[in-house]
Amino acid sequence: MILVIKPDASPEQIDHVIQRIEELGFRPHVSRGTERTIIGVIGDERKAEVEKFAAIPGVEQVHNILKPFKLASREFQKSDSVVKVGKVRIGGGHLAMIAGPCAVESREGLDRIAAHVKKAGANILRGGAFKPRTSPYAFQGMGEEGLKILREVGDKHGMPVVTEVMDPRQVALVEQWADMFQVGARNMQNFDLLREVGQTRKPVLLKRGMSATVKDLLMSAEYVLAGGNPDVVLCERGVRSFEDSTRNMLDMSAVPNVKGQSHLPIIVDPSHATGRPDLIPSMAKAAVAAGADGVHVEVHDCPEKALSDGPQALLPDQFARLMQEVRKLVSAVGAKVD
Amino acid sequence: MILVLRTDATQPQIEHVIERVQELGFEPRLITGAFRTIVALIGDDNAPGVEKLDAIPGVENVHRILKPFKLASREFHRPDTVVEVGKVKIGGGHLAMIAGPCAVESREGLDRIAGHVKKAGANILRGGAFKPRTSPYAFQGMGEEGLKILRDVGDKHGMPVVTEVMDTRQVALVSKWADMFQIGARNMQNFDLLKEVGQARKPVLLKRGMSATVKDLLMSAEYVLAEGNSSVVLCERGVRGFEDSTRNVLDLSAVPNVKGQSHLPIIVDPSHATGRPDLIPSMAMAAVAAKSDGVHIEVHDCPEKALSDGPQALLPDQYATLMGELRKLAEVLGRMIDR
Repeated sequence: MILVIKPDASPEQIDHVIQRIEELGFRPHVSRGTERTIIGVIGDERKAEVEKFAAIPGVEQVHNILKPFKLASREFQKSDSVVKVGKVRIGGGHLAMIAGPCAVESREGLDRIAAHVKKAGANILRGGAFKPRTSPYAFQGMGEEGLKILREVGDKHGMPVVTEVMDPRQVALVEQWADMFQVGARNMQNFDLLREVGQTRKPVLLKRGMSATVKDLLMSAEYVLAGGNPDVVLCERGVRSFEDSTRNMLDMSAVPNVKGQSHLPIIVDPSHATGRPDLIPSMAKAAVAAGADGVHVEVHDCPEKALSDGPQALLPDQFARLMQEVRKLVSAVGAKVD
Repeated sequence: MILVLRTDATQPQIEHVIERVQELGFEPRLITGAFRTIVALIGDDNAPGVEKLDAIPGVENVHRILKPFKLASREFHRPDTVVEVGKVKIGGGHLAMIAGPCAVESREGLDRIAGHVKKAGANILRGGAFKPRTSPYAFQGMGEEGLKILRDVGDKHGMPVVTEVMDTRQVALVSKWADMFQIGARNMQNFDLLKEVGQARKPVLLKRGMSATVKDLLMSAEYVLAEGNSSVVLCERGVRGFEDSTRNVLDLSAVPNVKGQSHLPIIVDPSHATGRPDLIPSMAMAAVAAKSDGVHIEVHDCPEKALSDGPQALLPDQYATLMGELRKLAEVLGRMIDR
């Protein structure tokens, strides 16, 4: 860590900074320049909290040298992580094609949609049983009954299943029925929930928070990894911005940005990112071309009757066409879909 | 157009609303609901005076039905517009591969870089002679001398050239030397400049402003089209976001978003969008997969000595590798790169 000292700091203040650095268990290295003094803080930076140094009088800026995450970093593990969800691999050239309705609404409905997406080439089935809805009056999900339906329909079609867990108290229940936990964007920094899924041995799909930086996302992954669960798949699903014609703004550069810093797989969710079926296919293809480890697309056979997020769902036909185009790209970029 | 009236709008206010919209030439249809009264206006959404409708007492909000741009819209012109820059086509399946240094720095330097990018497959040469730099102390460009160098080097390598114009007073000069005007992000809403290039008969590369919505971008294109210049190519180059590890946030969804509403070509500039050479190749690939009409990439053979934006430039080798991958992708997608 490097501390830049204010130009008007007194010698007493600088002495105090040095003293505080030593008290915090680090070794100071002072360089006095013509205009500024800077102090290198030598020691294990991960144990150093920026705020503690920034708060010392006379300190103007604090610069981190090391990344604040360790287990999630490329330095810690050079090769791409490959996460297995049932028999489906994600990462290292294997693409996840996650599809299904926003919410599990009924056994028959999910069964129909699952058959469509399976036939089109999806390899993991999604469906929410616990739904984080912006309005408390909107459909909140079928709960445990929804989980059982998801399990049965997944088994029938030979697809592993992923579903959202919103509360640490639901983790054991969701673990019983699902093959993969989804931690939604609104819970990306629900640290107790992250610790709880970190204690389990099922893979976690961790979605980027709507105002989280890439570093914030990797720090949240670190929570799960630090709990002993190595199977984390990240998901870019758009962030908030001023653009008012899309639901969110898809930050596609997060894909290579994550891959440069971390060994974890990252997939893209163009459904939540754009909220518009007319933009989803292009963004799904762009994601594969950008090197993403898969896509997550919401599909419904009757969007106008969907209980949740209908307007952004693709129809089964549209999804089948998209999958055909994606397959062409997949071979062009040298990846595989299990 | 639909006017939603306030729940507490009084009868005299409602009558006044009706009178005002009739004065503006609309035919009002009143719909009285259980909680609200709304007024549907029949007439041209883009008529003069419509922006004042929400100032009428009793009006809560105004919903437009028609798009506020006309010449740029898909309704106005169904097929994709194909813009020609020299002999290079952009749009309708033809990809622009624009490359070159951020700024023209010297004849020899530009000649070397142009040799590299031409060989790699670029079809339009870029280079700034007038540079909009954040700091007034940074290199501001070579001016007219830079334009002449750009022209000579482009001719030598058989590439049309694009360069930025920042000021209405430079339009005639830039028009003399360049094949295409670039309007930079900071000037996307410099309306006098837009009108001026609209009067010219050379194509315009219009970059999205850093806090402009897609609609704002199309409205700016409308300025150029309304003056009679129909050759506008849009460019997504990233917008401001809270993410602090990239220069901007590349809004790739702007590509299909524009294409749904407009016939104009749109290309992507991953260099300015990310500011990071390690992210540029993936974003260029993603742009082509998203059906953009080309990519705009800064290339320099010695980024550490570049006078402007060196850190975001690709090296000639990196650019050549990327072009190899882009060609494969373009082939899979059935798109052409003119030489």
